[in-house]
Amino acid sequence: MSGAQEAAHAVHDPNIGTTGLDNRKMGMWAFLGSECMFFGSLIGTYLSYKGKSVSGPTPHEILNIPLTSISAFVLLMSSLLMVLALAAVQRNDMRWGKVWLFLTALLGAGFVGFQIYEFNHFVHLGLTLQTNLFGTTFFVLTGFHGAHVTGGVIWLLSLWGLALRGKLGPQDSLKVEICGLYWHFVDIVWIAIFTLVYLIP
Amino acid sequence: MADAHAHTASHAEGAHAPVATYLRVAVVLAIITAIEIAALYVPGLPTAALVTALIVFSVVKFALVVAFFMHLRYDSKVLAALFVGPLMLACAIILALMALFSAFLLLPRA
Repeated sequence: MSGAQEAAHAVHDPNIGTTGLDNRKMGMWAFLGSECMFFGSLIGTYLSYKGKSVSGPTPHEILNIPLTSISAFVLLMSSLLMVLALAAVQRNDMRWGKVWLFLTALLGAGFVGFQIYEFNHFVHLGLTLQTNLFGTTFFVLTGFHGAHVTGGVIWLLSLWGLALRGKLGPQDSLKVEICGLYWHFVDIVWIAIFTLVYLIP
Repeated sequence: MADAHAHTASHAEGAHAPVATYLRVAVVLAIITAIEIAALYVPGLPTAALVTALIVFSVVKFALVVAFFMHLRYDSKVLAALFVGPLMLACAIILALMALFSAFLLLPRA
């Protein structure tokens, strides 16, 4: 083995594949690609059955656009905090890294809180999973999205816990970046749901 | 060889936008969201125009988050293909389902 080959072997990172990309990051993007099809199917089903419920409540009777606009804005701004967290971790500013990670999780939890309130309110107004086609497709679509947000909040809090114990630094920025990719994905799914379910008449 | 390999990896994964760019993108996203909501309250706006505008605005917001916050603008084309390919398939699934159920947004339902 020549000196150059030995050096190449010594610096080889087992996570870097033949494409020159990190396998973990590629795996997350492939996962997000599959998630596009998952949510695409749910959104397609919602739109296909839209306006075909034989009994109420119907979307225009029940959806609260001002309230959902606030929760959509909260989730959108959490994406900004997520990139600020990543930027802080990458420059080894762990004080702000911890602040942004916690605030991102807090806004995510706030979004889930809005959704719990909304679901509870709808059930009180007579809309459940079994009421009509709107109820079934609405709760399945937004419920799966809410579950994804909840998973993201748990992931963010886990990273925040690691940072608090001094076990997260700039050498771990890829962990934050991959969590960020997931977090931004749940945000873009909500951008689509907010427009197609809530805003379009 | 090793240097070239390491350079490729760092180029593909290390390049991110500056914080000022993130802030500008967030302001644009907030403004678009405000316009979307305001558009609902414009009297006399035809439904077809409203639906078209809302879809265009949401596509722009989607693209901004993916390009800047998810760094796809600065990242490898391989990652873009891994995401955009299934995304196009998802759009095709939505359109196919809507065609099967005669449920187009802008056209009268069967």
